[in-house]
Amino acid sequence: MQRFNVIICAALIALAAPVDAETLTVVTWGGAYEESQQKAYFAPFEKATGAEIKIVRYDGGLDELRAHLATAKGAPEWDVVDMVLADAHRACAEGLIATVTTSDLAPAPDGTPPEDDFMPGTIGPCWVSQLVYSTAIAYDERAFPGLKPAGIADFFDVARFPGKRALQRSPIAVLEWALLSYDVPREQVYHLLSTERGLNLAFRRLDNLRGNIVWWSSGDEPPAMLQSGEAAMASGYNGRFFHAIAEQNAPIAMVWDGQLLDYATWTVVAGSGNKDLARQFVRFATRAENLAEQARHISYGPTRASARERIGMYADSNIPMHAHLPTAPRHMQRAVRQDHAWYAKTENLRQRRFASWLKSLPESDRP
Amino acid sequence: MSETARRSVYRVAVLSAVGVGVGAAASAAAIGFVELIELLNEILLISPHARIQYEETPGLVIAATLLVPAAGGILVAAVIRFGIAERRALGPPDAILAVQTGAAPPSVRSGLGSTLAALVSLGCGASVGQYGPLVYLGTLIGQLTSRLRFGLHDLQSISIACGVAAAISTAFNAPIAGIVFAHEVILRHYSLRAFAPVTVASAVGYILANVVFERAPLFLVHFDGVRHGYEFILFAGVGVCGALIAVAFMRLLTESGKMAARLPIPDLLKPGLAGLVLGLIALQLPEVLGIGKEALRFATIEGAFGLGELAALVIAKIFVTVMCVGFGFVGGVFSPALLIGILFGALSGATVGTVLPDLYSGVVVYAICGMTAVFSPVIGAPLTAIMIIFELTRSYDLTIAAMVAVVFSNLVANRLFGRSLFDVQLANRGFDLSLGRDRAILRNCRITELGDMTAPTASPDEPLRDALDRLNSAGRAEAPVVDADGTYHGILRAGSASTMAADARVRDNISGQGLVFDETTTLWDALERMRAFIGDAAAIVDSRDRRFLGSVTEAAVIGAYLDTVQVLRREENAAL
Repeated sequence: MQRFNVIICAALIALAAPVDAETLTVVTWGGAYEESQQKAYFAPFEKATGAEIKIVRYDGGLDELRAHLATAKGAPEWDVVDMVLADAHRACAEGLIATVTTSDLAPAPDGTPPEDDFMPGTIGPCWVSQLVYSTAIAYDERAFPGLKPAGIADFFDVARFPGKRALQRSPIAVLEWALLSYDVPREQVYHLLSTERGLNLAFRRLDNLRGNIVWWSSGDEPPAMLQSGEAAMASGYNGRFFHAIAEQNAPIAMVWDGQLLDYATWTVVAGSGNKDLARQFVRFATRAENLAEQARHISYGPTRASARERIGMYADSNIPMHAHLPTAPRHMQRAVRQDHAWYAKTENLRQRRFASWLKSLPESDRP
Repeated sequence: MSETARRSVYRVAVLSAVGVGVGAAASAAAIGFVELIELLNEILLISPHARIQYEETPGLVIAATLLVPAAGGILVAAVIRFGIAERRALGPPDAILAVQTGAAPPSVRSGLGSTLAALVSLGCGASVGQYGPLVYLGTLIGQLTSRLRFGLHDLQSISIACGVAAAISTAFNAPIAGIVFAHEVILRHYSLRAFAPVTVASAVGYILANVVFERAPLFLVHFDGVRHGYEFILFAGVGVCGALIAVAFMRLLTESGKMAARLPIPDLLKPGLAGLVLGLIALQLPEVLGIGKEALRFATIEGAFGLGELAALVIAKIFVTVMCVGFGFVGGVFSPALLIGILFGALSGATVGTVLPDLYSGVVVYAICGMTAVFSPVIGAPLTAIMIIFELTRSYDLTIAAMVAVVFSNLVANRLFGRSLFDVQLANRGFDLSLGRDRAILRNCRITELGDMTAPTASPDEPLRDALDRLNSAGRAEAPVVDADGTYHGILRAGSASTMAADARVRDNISGQGLVFDETTTLWDALERMRAFIGDAAAIVDSRDRRFLGSVTEAAVIGAYLDTVQVLRREENAAL
């Protein structure tokens, strides 16, 4: 134990060593999620290194990063991007992001090397995924005082569960859900969606929602739409819904059935002028203590076993976080694990099919 | 401890070890086999999951569709030519034959060759099944174990049955079906001595598949129950129509080899050609490639296919499977039968739904009934079929509906074709199980094995008196007449010798040919022909050159019959 303490002290001293007061630009998602990152990563990192962190907000995807790199004169301004794993797969293949190796990562507090501590598949050639979040369905309790939606099929059943549906204007999760509503096993979802027939069935199911759709694009919108009564059911990130429930006492309930698991992933922008500082940040932010700290502020599950052991109560309340994570065993039973490679490779196809479906919608449903 | 008790404990120990060992090995091999096929399908752009990821380069997908099955076919032909001594695919019929007759199965080398050929066939998307090769893989592992000298005479049958049960249990995630299949199709009896290790092996397969490797259940479908009692009549109808499809499928399969043999194309090119044709069809109907797991699932979804599409796919899948099997791809016919059946079932369901839209219980139950109606006559195992449906769907309602379809389907198919494709294939190879295994085994015992050369014979040129003296002293009333070259001339009967003149020769006193068997006569034929036989012994004569091969007494034939029946009875009633 003595030895580990020495190692930790040495690591802290190394981190605290003065670096020129540089500015690290981190691109991330805003809202409650960014607040949790502020508390767990940004503020402590600034304190430890003296560097300044500048935040740029975005809503995912690679278009902005591509545009940024294309227009940058000299080194790009962006250094670190928090992206979903499928985007990281694509960005890596396109050379938009730099390599990250396990030697860039800190071992667990008990000395377990990172590759044994992280979930399998979360450390890639250019990325490290730090937490599991899910895209799931939630509903406004006030809209369904009697019979409650319980399964994914209920989302598409506007006859039994009338009311507007808030959906992300993007072919993410919604195609899986549409197919799951035909009772196909979740293990087969991506194999079935790979066929013309599967895609047609999925869009046919989406047609059920015609005239009942409101669109969202940023992660903090769905809880707000449920609270304001603009939508009766919404897709959204589980952490945002939890935040609204825990912080604002919002009358929102989750439908975990069909939750789509994905990873939030740190990447370092290719050609970044602050590569060393960027890697230092990734190392700092993926330490077990910091990951556990973030999970105390938003209900996303750390990808490190050593971090999951350290999660406590929500912020300063009495709500134990474990039961609200997407990785809680009872939520996992009906979870869909996103097929990241498939997602990355079918991006254009899904976008194309989705766009042509959007065109077929009545005027009131158009974004 | 008495000797009997010690033997008992020893047997229990050996059989348990065989159950666990063979079960684990066969199950691991089955998982490896299936995983490898999936990997190949993914790499070679056969599975839709891989193909869609290259949808932006359609040329690549088209090239893979045409060339992969064709190249796979050429490779398969080479493996068959150089790797399998029998020059054909090995499968369940070979397992059945080895278990039923106790004869040595094809060599391990041939077995490995056949498994490799099946792996290539399935990996390259040929329209063949994976369960036949899996059954043979289980057989192969059982066969290896039976080489260990444990001193149990029926170990080969039992360990092969264990291997088969574990393979089926793993592949379908259906342990009870594994046990039933091994008994119903392979062993064809239910002795406790076999049942215990087979059950252990099947359970080990299930544990490996579920607990260790966490393989998902193959076919969970949602079903709310049959809504109208009269629909059971419709299920029976689906059963009868399914039987007709199964019979057509099996007839075409048995004929396809002969049809392919008539084509003036070298054998080495035939599978490749079939692969190319398959690819061409798959450009239009990608569902026909490989096992077609996606289509299997879509068939249970209301409205996923149009009526015309379903009919076209049923016909196309029958055609490409018959072509692939006939032209020499290596694989089973069970998976294609599943797909043909479920598509036919969905077609029946959609038809009922069109005619009586509000009075039917949805497409799922018809799809399942159709599937069971087609595949159960093909494997000739109605009980297994019912168990498979029960274990795959975990639904009582669906199982009972499928049960009705299975019964009618098997009745019709048995009348029109035979018990199963395997049995008909075996019958074509001279081993007919249709009237019981005792008859089949007796029909495979050659009478020549019972031939006795020590009984006295007479030579045509010797004096009659000498010959009769010899008969007298041997206590015989007749003797076969055989000349110096060993050629058979007929029978000499002491009672009917017309003259006792000193110069009388045997040659002039031959009283006919007597009862003559030849080298092809089986024990069964001998028994049949000896019904009205009176005399000492029948002669066995080579049908080609009339050479005398020995004589066989009625007692020897009956003794051999009793021995065979006794071995069977012991095997079928063996306790631990």
